[in-house]
Amino acid sequence: MINSILRLGLIFILLILLQLLLFNNIQFSGYVNPYVYIMFILLLPVEIPAWLLLILSFLTGLIIDLFSGSPGMHTSATLLAGFVRPHILRIISPRDGYEIGSDPSMLTYGFKWFLSYTILIVVVHHTALFYLEVFRFADFFRTMFRVLLSSLFSITFILMVEYYRRGK
Amino acid sequence: MTNLLKFLVRYNNLFIFLILEGIAIYLLSTGNNYHNTRVVNGIRSLTLGIEAKISNTRNYLNLREINSNLAEENAAIRNSNGLLSGKDNSLFFSVFDSAYQQHYHHTSAEVIGNSINRQKNFFTLNKGERQGIKVDMAVTSGNCVAGVIVGCSENYSVAMSLLNLDFKLSARLKSNGYFGSLSWSGLDVQHAILNEIPQHVAVNRGDTIETTGFSAIFPEGVMIGTVSDFENIGGDFYNITILVATDFRKLYFVDIIGNMMKTEQLELENLFQ
Repeated sequence: MINSILRLGLIFILLILLQLLLFNNIQFSGYVNPYVYIMFILLLPVEIPAWLLLILSFLTGLIIDLFSGSPGMHTSATLLAGFVRPHILRIISPRDGYEIGSDPSMLTYGFKWFLSYTILIVVVHHTALFYLEVFRFADFFRTMFRVLLSSLFSITFILMVEYYRRGK
Repeated sequence: MTNLLKFLVRYNNLFIFLILEGIAIYLLSTGNNYHNTRVVNGIRSLTLGIEAKISNTRNYLNLREINSNLAEENAAIRNSNGLLSGKDNSLFFSVFDSAYQQHYHHTSAEVIGNSINRQKNFFTLNKGERQGIKVDMAVTSGNCVAGVIVGCSENYSVAMSLLNLDFKLSARLKSNGYFGSLSWSGLDVQHAILNEIPQHVAVNRGDTIETTGFSAIFPEGVMIGTVSDFENIGGDFYNITILVATDFRKLYFVDIIGNMMKTEQLELENLFQ
């Protein structure tokens, strides 16, 4: 228990640092802005209480916001991701349910399950985030294009990290 | 109360989400200039739309008052214009010279009674002697001839409408200046007859007919109407039908024009008659 909390804390710090120091500085033609810190929300245990999940999402978003100078934007998007995560988990639950005390990882539930899980949450998060950033419906399709491209990059990164974790 | 608590417990995660999301949106709209502007503008455009509707309604209800204010303002402007216009084409003039004093005096009035379906039509105005109205002043509506004052009481006056068989007016063709006598046809509210235009004069449909200013009642050049039809009846003169510019069926606000030099002109003319 303590071990897994420590491990999650370490992942949390690593992801935030990675996001702030590396990915926030990627400006590939203005269309690709990957936000990989969302992986922290993905990796939280399956049975985490919803209220704790919401508060952790809020804090994660808040920290990213504080350091990237965009108050509220990441907070509301990450909070939304945290809010829909239990519902998404229910929708895509494996045939024989989740194992008690398990992490939603590729190792436990397989590549295909983890892929759909990642895609759903990352797309929800990125959609909320990019539309909040633009904050208008003009350029609707341009924003959608940005959402899709950035999601593609974020998902690729998350899968790579997860694949590496599984291999270990 | 129990039900409320049950409800809150059942949806506690939704409420936590909504509260935290509310905080996030609050941060979003106050912390970022751009988002703040968008939110403020959005709210403002909403309220402005509602306010514009309210204001439109209010304006509509006050239209009558606004109209009469505008009419008075018009009269005031015409007065000041009359003060200036006498000085147009002279190089030297003295401000005390009576030759350059104001020639016409304008007063606005509201039509409070009107008839159009008789052979001798009159309309009543809400201004009289107390407001400086006298008999034989001209009445125009929107700069077009409407009638002549024929009677005044203290606060009201009656004007003979152009739609009156007794109404005679000296009128001319604006294009070439030939003048004749205008009277109502007696047939409908839109047409009048212009007589005494000689047959060698070129007349076209649509030519403007205006006042001459000979009668010392109407100023020179006030629009009467346009030629709608003309025929050659075999005598020396045309028989010209005029489409009257004023719509007497909706005559609401008029200008009363007084010629301030009329007495002088008439006295002089009387010496030779």
